[in-house]
Amino acid sequence: MSGPETVDRVLLTAAVVIILVAGGLLLVRIARGPSMLDRAIALDVCAALIIAGLGTKSAFARDSFYFPIMLVLAFLGFTGSVGIARFIAVRDRPRPRRGPAGEEGRR
Amino acid sequence: MTVWQQIADTAGAVLVFIGAAICLLGVVGMLRLPDVLSRSHAATKPQTLGLLLVLAGVALRLRGGMDVATLALIGFFQLLTGPVAAHLVARSAYRTGQIERCELLFDDLDAQLTEIQDAGPAQEPGRRPEDGREGGGEPGQEPGPAPGPSRS
Repeated sequence: MSGPETVDRVLLTAAVVIILVAGGLLLVRIARGPSMLDRAIALDVCAALIIAGLGTKSAFARDSFYFPIMLVLAFLGFTGSVGIARFIAVRDRPRPRRGPAGEEGRR
Repeated sequence: MTVWQQIADTAGAVLVFIGAAICLLGVVGMLRLPDVLSRSHAATKPQTLGLLLVLAGVALRLRGGMDVATLALIGFFQLLTGPVAAHLVARSAYRTGQIERCELLFDDLDAQLTEIQDAGPAQEPGRRPEDGREGGGEPGQEPGPAPGPSRS
Protein backbone atom coordinates (compact mmCIF):
# COMPACT_ATOMS: atom_id res chain seq x y z
CA MET A 1 0.00 0.00 0.00
CA SER A 2 1.27 3.39 0.94
CA GLY A 3 4.66 4.24 2.35
CA PRO A 4 3.96 4.32 6.10
CA GLU A 5 2.10 1.01 5.87
CA THR A 6 5.21 -0.55 4.41
CA VAL A 7 7.28 0.95 7.21
CA ASP A 8 4.94 -0.57 9.78
CA ARG A 9 5.12 -3.95 8.13
CA VAL A 10 8.91 -3.88 7.97
CA LEU A 11 9.18 -2.85 11.63
CA LEU A 12 6.83 -5.58 12.82
CA THR A 13 8.55 -8.23 10.74
CA ALA A 14 11.89 -7.14 12.17
CA ALA A 15 10.40 -7.36 15.66
CA VAL A 16 9.23 -10.93 15.00
CA VAL A 17 12.68 -11.88 13.74
CA ILE A 18 14.35 -10.30 16.79
CA ILE A 19 12.03 -12.16 19.17
CA LEU A 20 12.73 -15.44 17.38
CA VAL A 21 16.48 -14.84 17.64
CA ALA A 22 16.07 -14.05 21.34
CA GLY A 23 14.12 -17.29 21.81
CA GLY A 24 16.90 -19.26 20.13
CA LEU A 25 19.55 -17.70 22.35
CA LEU A 26 17.35 -18.45 25.35
CA LEU A 27 17.21 -22.11 24.33
CA VAL A 28 21.01 -22.12 24.48
CA ARG A 29 20.83 -20.86 28.07
CA ILE A 30 18.20 -23.46 28.96
CA ALA A 31 20.29 -26.22 27.45
CA ARG A 32 23.55 -25.39 29.16
CA GLY A 33 22.33 -23.64 32.29
CA PRO A 34 24.46 -25.03 35.08
CA SER A 35 21.70 -25.32 37.64
CA MET A 36 17.95 -25.74 37.61
CA LEU A 37 17.51 -22.19 38.89
CA ASP A 38 19.07 -20.81 35.73
CA ARG A 39 16.60 -22.85 33.73
CA ALA A 40 13.75 -21.60 35.90
CA ILE A 41 14.68 -17.97 35.21
CA ALA A 42 15.09 -18.77 31.54
CA LEU A 43 11.63 -20.33 31.46
CA ASP A 44 10.18 -17.15 32.94
CA VAL A 45 11.83 -15.11 30.21
CA CYS A 46 10.56 -17.66 27.69
CA ALA A 47 6.98 -17.03 28.79
CA ALA A 48 7.57 -13.29 28.44
CA LEU A 49 8.98 -13.82 24.95
CA ILE A 50 5.96 -15.91 23.93
CA ILE A 51 3.66 -13.12 25.14
CA ALA A 52 5.69 -10.55 23.21
CA GLY A 53 5.61 -12.68 20.07
CA LEU A 54 1.86 -13.17 20.27
CA GLY A 55 1.47 -9.43 20.82
CA THR A 56 3.54 -8.72 17.75
CA LYS A 57 1.42 -11.11 15.72
CA SER A 58 -1.71 -9.41 16.99
CA ALA A 59 -0.28 -6.01 16.06
CA PHE A 60 0.59 -7.31 12.62
CA ALA A 61 -2.80 -8.81 11.85
CA ARG A 62 -4.85 -6.32 13.92
CA ASP A 63 -6.90 -8.99 15.59
CA SER A 64 -7.39 -9.74 19.26
CA PHE A 65 -7.77 -13.48 18.90
CA TYR A 66 -4.69 -14.37 20.96
CA PHE A 67 -5.27 -12.00 23.85
CA PRO A 68 -6.76 -14.62 26.20
CA ILE A 69 -3.74 -16.83 25.60
CA MET A 70 -1.43 -13.94 26.48
CA LEU A 71 -3.50 -13.28 29.60
CA VAL A 72 -3.26 -16.89 30.77
CA LEU A 73 0.48 -16.95 30.08
CA ALA A 74 1.00 -13.76 32.07
CA PHE A 75 -1.08 -15.15 34.89
CA LEU A 76 0.29 -18.68 35.11
CA GLY A 77 3.75 -18.40 33.59
CA PHE A 78 5.44 -18.05 36.94
CA THR A 79 4.14 -21.26 38.48
CA GLY A 80 6.72 -23.38 36.71
CA SER A 81 9.69 -21.47 38.06
CA VAL A 82 8.12 -21.28 41.51
CA GLY A 83 7.73 -25.05 41.52
CA ILE A 84 11.31 -25.53 40.41
CA ALA A 85 12.61 -23.12 43.03
CA ARG A 86 10.57 -24.65 45.81
CA PHE A 87 10.83 -28.34 45.16
CA ILE A 88 13.52 -29.26 42.68
CA ALA A 89 16.41 -26.87 43.31
CA VAL A 90 16.69 -27.91 46.95
CA ARG A 91 17.24 -31.52 46.02
CA ASP A 92 19.21 -31.01 42.84
CA ARG A 93 22.63 -29.57 43.61
CA PRO A 94 24.52 -29.63 40.37
CA ARG A 95 28.05 -29.55 41.75
CA PRO A 96 29.92 -28.82 44.94
CA ARG A 97 30.46 -25.12 45.02
CA ARG A 98 34.02 -25.25 46.25
CA GLY A 99 35.65 -28.61 46.02
CA PRO A 100 38.58 -29.59 48.19
CA ALA A 101 40.91 -29.17 45.23
CA GLY A 102 40.03 -25.50 44.87
CA GLU A 103 37.58 -23.43 42.99
CA GLU A 104 35.56 -24.90 40.24
CA GLY A 105 34.65 -23.21 37.05
CA ARG A 106 31.26 -21.60 37.25
CA ARG A 107 30.18 -21.83 33.65
CA MET B 1 -7.64 6.71 7.36
CA THR B 2 -6.75 9.98 8.90
CA VAL B 3 -3.32 11.26 9.63
CA TRP B 4 -3.58 10.64 13.35
CA GLN B 5 -4.52 7.02 12.91
CA GLN B 6 -1.53 6.58 10.65
CA ILE B 7 0.70 8.24 13.24
CA ALA B 8 -0.67 5.95 15.97
CA ASP B 9 -0.04 2.91 13.78
CA THR B 10 3.55 3.83 13.09
CA ALA B 11 4.20 4.77 16.71
CA GLY B 12 2.78 1.41 17.78
CA ALA B 13 5.02 -0.43 15.35
CA VAL B 14 8.05 1.50 16.61
CA LEU B 15 7.15 0.66 20.22
CA VAL B 16 6.77 -3.02 19.37
CA PHE B 17 10.16 -2.95 17.67
CA ILE B 18 11.84 -1.26 20.65
CA GLY B 19 10.25 -3.78 23.02
CA ALA B 20 11.53 -6.67 20.91
CA ALA B 21 15.01 -5.13 20.89
CA ILE B 22 14.92 -4.87 24.69
CA CYS B 23 13.88 -8.51 24.85
CA LEU B 24 16.92 -9.41 22.78
CA LEU B 25 19.16 -7.31 25.03
CA GLY B 26 17.88 -9.08 28.12
CA VAL B 27 18.43 -12.49 26.57
CA VAL B 28 21.99 -11.54 25.63
CA GLY B 29 22.50 -10.52 29.24
CA MET B 30 21.18 -13.89 30.35
CA LEU B 31 23.70 -15.58 28.12
CA ARG B 32 26.70 -13.57 29.20
CA LEU B 33 26.28 -12.88 32.90
CA PRO B 34 27.97 -15.39 35.18
CA ASP B 35 25.73 -15.87 38.19
CA VAL B 36 22.18 -16.82 39.09
CA LEU B 37 21.48 -13.47 40.69
CA SER B 38 22.96 -11.44 37.85
CA ARG B 39 21.06 -13.56 35.36
CA SER B 40 17.93 -12.84 37.33
CA HIS B 41 18.79 -9.16 37.05
CA ALA B 42 19.07 -9.50 33.29
CA ALA B 43 15.87 -11.54 33.09
CA THR B 44 13.70 -8.75 34.45
CA LYS B 45 14.28 -6.55 31.41
CA PRO B 46 12.26 -8.60 28.92
CA GLN B 47 9.70 -9.42 31.58
CA THR B 48 8.81 -5.85 32.49
CA LEU B 49 10.09 -3.15 30.16
CA GLY B 50 10.18 -5.09 26.92
CA LEU B 51 6.79 -6.66 27.45
CA LEU B 52 5.17 -3.38 28.51
CA LEU B 53 6.55 -1.62 25.43
CA VAL B 54 5.22 -4.38 23.19
CA LEU B 55 1.81 -4.22 24.87
CA ALA B 56 1.71 -0.42 24.52
CA GLY B 57 2.53 -0.78 20.85
CA VAL B 58 -0.24 -3.33 20.35
CA ALA B 59 -2.66 -1.06 22.20
CA LEU B 60 -1.70 1.84 19.93
CA ARG B 61 -2.34 -0.27 16.86
CA LEU B 62 -5.64 -1.87 17.87
CA ARG B 63 -7.22 1.10 19.72
CA GLY B 64 -10.38 -0.69 20.84
CA GLY B 65 -11.61 -0.25 24.37
CA MET B 66 -11.89 -3.94 25.14
CA ASP B 67 -8.53 -4.69 23.57
CA VAL B 68 -6.76 -1.96 25.51
CA ALA B 69 -8.36 -3.18 28.74
CA THR B 70 -7.20 -6.75 28.08
CA LEU B 71 -3.69 -5.55 27.31
CA ALA B 72 -3.59 -3.51 30.51
CA LEU B 73 -4.69 -6.61 32.40
CA ILE B 74 -1.91 -8.65 30.79
CA GLY B 75 0.66 -6.05 31.82
CA PHE B 76 -0.76 -5.89 35.32
CA PHE B 77 -0.58 -9.64 35.83
CA GLN B 78 2.93 -9.78 34.42
CA LEU B 79 4.06 -7.08 36.84
CA LEU B 80 2.27 -8.92 39.66
CA THR B 81 3.71 -12.38 39.11
CA GLY B 82 7.23 -11.49 38.05
CA PRO B 83 8.60 -10.47 41.48
CA VAL B 84 7.10 -13.56 43.13
CA ALA B 85 9.01 -15.93 40.90
CA ALA B 86 12.19 -13.83 41.05
CA HIS B 87 12.05 -13.69 44.84
CA LEU B 88 11.59 -17.43 45.22
CA VAL B 89 14.33 -18.25 42.74
CA ALA B 90 16.80 -15.87 44.39
CA ARG B 91 15.97 -17.20 47.82
CA SER B 92 16.42 -20.76 46.67
CA ALA B 93 19.73 -19.81 45.05
CA TYR B 94 20.89 -18.30 48.33
CA ARG B 95 19.88 -21.22 50.45
CA THR B 96 21.42 -23.83 48.21
CA GLY B 97 24.65 -21.86 48.08
CA GLN B 98 24.78 -21.10 44.39
CA ILE B 99 25.83 -17.48 44.69
CA GLU B 100 29.23 -15.90 45.16
CA ARG B 101 29.16 -14.73 48.73
CA CYS B 102 32.37 -12.76 48.45
CA GLU B 103 30.85 -10.45 45.88
CA LEU B 104 27.86 -9.42 47.95
CA LEU B 105 28.03 -5.93 49.38
CA PHE B 106 25.21 -6.42 51.88
CA ASP B 107 24.08 -9.74 53.24
CA ASP B 108 21.14 -9.29 55.56
CA LEU B 109 19.77 -12.78 55.08
CA ASP B 110 22.96 -14.29 56.50
CA ALA B 111 22.44 -12.63 59.88
CA GLN B 112 18.82 -13.69 59.95
CA LEU B 113 19.62 -17.29 59.15
CA THR B 114 22.32 -17.30 61.83
CA GLU B 115 19.88 -15.91 64.37
CA ILE B 116 17.37 -18.59 63.54
CA GLN B 117 20.00 -21.25 63.92
CA ASP B 118 21.22 -19.83 67.24
CA ALA B 119 17.72 -19.55 68.63
CA GLY B 120 16.84 -23.15 68.19
CA PRO B 121 16.90 -26.10 65.87
CA ALA B 122 16.26 -25.40 62.26
CA GLN B 123 12.90 -26.16 60.81
CA GLU B 124 14.17 -28.38 58.10
CA PRO B 125 16.80 -30.81 59.22
CA GLY B 126 18.03 -31.55 55.74
CA ARG B 127 19.07 -27.99 55.21
CA ARG B 128 20.85 -27.43 58.43
CA PRO B 129 24.47 -28.39 57.68
CA GLU B 130 24.54 -26.07 54.71
CA ASP B 131 23.33 -23.17 56.82
CA GLY B 132 25.76 -23.94 59.55
CA ARG B 133 28.64 -23.97 57.17
CA GLU B 134 27.64 -20.76 55.52
CA GLY B 135 26.55 -18.94 58.62
CA GLY B 136 29.82 -19.56 60.40
CA GLY B 137 32.17 -17.88 57.98
CA GLU B 138 32.51 -14.20 57.51
CA PRO B 139 31.11 -13.01 54.21
CA GLY B 140 34.39 -11.54 53.13
CA GLN B 141 36.62 -14.51 53.64
CA GLU B 142 36.96 -17.69 51.75
CA PRO B 143 34.82 -20.43 53.17
CA GLY B 144 37.28 -23.07 52.09
CA PRO B 145 36.67 -26.75 52.32
CA ALA B 146 34.11 -27.28 55.00
CA PRO B 147 35.53 -29.27 57.90
CA GLY B 148 32.45 -30.54 59.62
CA PRO B 149 29.43 -31.19 57.47
CA SER B 150 29.58 -33.33 54.44
CA ARG B 151 28.32 -32.05 51.17
CA SER B 152 25.56 -34.17 49.90
